[in-house]
Amino acid sequence: MDRRSFVRLLAAAPLAPALPEALPKLRIVTSYKPAAVPGMPGPYPGRVVAVQSEKSVDTASNAANDDVVREMMARGLCALTGAKTAPEAWRRFFVPADVVGIKVNCGGHPYVVSSYEIVTETVRQLMALGIPPAQIFLYERFQNQLDEVNYAPHLPEGVTIVAAETANRRADNRGYDPATYVEADLFGEEDTRSNMMRLVTQKLTKIVNIPNVKDHGATGATGCLKNIAYGSFSNVARTHYRGKSHTYSFVGTLASVEPLRSRTVLQIMDGLRGVWHGGPFARTRKYVFYPKQIMFATDPVAIDRLLLDIIDDERKAHGAISIYDRSPQYLKVDDGAARDTDPNVNIIIREPGHVEYAAKLGLGEADKARIKVQTIDV
Amino acid sequence: MSPLLWLAALPCLYWTQGIESAPSLKAAGIERLCVPPERAEAWRGAGFSPVPISEGDLAVRDALLAPGIKARADRASATRSPWVDANGWRFLRNPAGQYVYDLPTGRAALAAAEAYVYGADAVLKIDPADLESLGRMLRFLSQLPANELPDAADLAVVDDGSAPLGEVLNLLVRRNLLVKVVKAPSAEFGINVKLGTKEYPLKEAGEPSALALKVRRQLGDEQRALRIFGSEAVIGRLTHHGSRTRLHLLNYGGRDLDGLRVHLRGTFPEGVAYVEGAGRVGLQERTAVEDGTEFTVPRLGAYGVVDLPPVK
Repeated sequence: MDRRSFVRLLAAAPLAPALPEALPKLRIVTSYKPAAVPGMPGPYPGRVVAVQSEKSVDTASNAANDDVVREMMARGLCALTGAKTAPEAWRRFFVPADVVGIKVNCGGHPYVVSSYEIVTETVRQLMALGIPPAQIFLYERFQNQLDEVNYAPHLPEGVTIVAAETANRRADNRGYDPATYVEADLFGEEDTRSNMMRLVTQKLTKIVNIPNVKDHGATGATGCLKNIAYGSFSNVARTHYRGKSHTYSFVGTLASVEPLRSRTVLQIMDGLRGVWHGGPFARTRKYVFYPKQIMFATDPVAIDRLLLDIIDDERKAHGAISIYDRSPQYLKVDDGAARDTDPNVNIIIREPGHVEYAAKLGLGEADKARIKVQTIDV
Repeated sequence: MSPLLWLAALPCLYWTQGIESAPSLKAAGIERLCVPPERAEAWRGAGFSPVPISEGDLAVRDALLAPGIKARADRASATRSPWVDANGWRFLRNPAGQYVYDLPTGRAALAAAEAYVYGADAVLKIDPADLESLGRMLRFLSQLPANELPDAADLAVVDDGSAPLGEVLNLLVRRNLLVKVVKAPSAEFGINVKLGTKEYPLKEAGEPSALALKVRRQLGDEQRALRIFGSEAVIGRLTHHGSRTRLHLLNYGGRDLDGLRVHLRGTFPEGVAYVEGAGRVGLQERTAVEDGTEFTVPRLGAYGVVDLPPVK
């Protein structure tokens, strides 16, 4: 090998999807048994329907078009299920007796959160099936984030908006099930448990997951898997610290815990808007972009595999380092201000391999060659 | 212990204001005071129980930290856990010591509880704005059922009297590793932390947090008599004798906790908690697990205590 080749090899090495050096021991404690067909990956493993529409969002105002979104949702669900009508498609997943949770994402307030239009259409379709509003729960972990986004004016009376904690301050534990958790000693922290929300274990029978297209400093991208996992368990911020992230194995492991895995039956990736850097937050429009698409699947891994490319491609288009970059030269540990101003700064070594790891747990398909994507233009 | 002795075991408020402040003390329910000797008679005449203590007496007492949590941006830490300022290790190291707290606003109640938990002879210098909260805490402490038991411990720490050992002890206690401070290695324990040995070289004491973590991993979480979930700002003191068990819970986080999960090694029947601000509360969701008993304390302010009855 000549010197030039060797240098090239060295330069390329950090971009290889490296494994973390040692995976932590994770212990799952749950008394819940899986359903005959667990919701993840559900009846359509490796299948994604991506519905795009130029008219879906006005990029000047950041506002979505309600009618277009409604059509995108109907077309997407019908294509995924093979149903002829939207109600028929929704009936493939829900019955009137279901108590349905809608896992939204409010972390990207004010620019990239689960859209009012997608959430309200989801509620409308559930109610059209005969599910009363009292059996529909919009949920997040933190009430202050839900308050900021304020879905209430967009929803019918009777739909419950609920969080496990008032804010991210580790003082409210009653919203979590003490008997359903993942135990792990990641960095020597004293509280080694992440508990599942009681809402999920004790009330809901089905869950619709509505994440966003977002970059993430610890996982590379945050989509279906992280929204449902980190959004349904306590004490998860402990997984990434001082430049190192254990999200590689933790995200998928949380998502695989029963009953969350069995009850999460539908993934609706809200890609009307996205954030390509600084995620999961979107405090400025500087890194906001507009994929103008919604993806539908029962397989969260398949969507998230596509998501990694969407985020990485957008970063490349802006000349930013890849989400797979592990080189120390771009790492400024805990320097959030530098990260916010410079897209070539990582504050943690990202672990986009969490998607592949989730596939190994049986949550879905991460091999792009085996993912069937149907694209629809509206 | 007689009620009078029990009352005397409570930490003492050091009060230098004049007799005209008596109504505010009475309103707070505080009757026992540490006062400058020349004022003792006047306070006695006003119906209080003064303990004369001079500035000189105070000066020879060991000064304690104001208990609580604080951000330590200057100090690297192995975890996201908050930095807890706590004095329990000092009381364990020197139970016969005499101590004084000089407290900023908002810390008096927690300091009183901390001193009480370890049975420390402590004087409290407080911000008068905390009179009411201190009075509430002292009243709560004085009404707790007497139940003085020896410490439960998972390991021994051989006290060489050094400052590095003190910091290691501090970190062990903060991590809820239950220690017995001994003068020489004890055959009672599988782990004896003695600095300067091959297993615990003195240089490791330079990273007390890392050393505490090493000890924790040597012990193994499954072997620990006490685990606390739902907060990293709560320190427990587990006391036990025969079939009686009492768990003290000090919450250094500065905000009430909703639902604190406790794991105790061993089998315990239904217990009861006494929580400052809430009184007697039932423990919730008690379950027998593989290696112990778990329950939830539904609410915890600055201090609470769990009494577990004998196993029948």
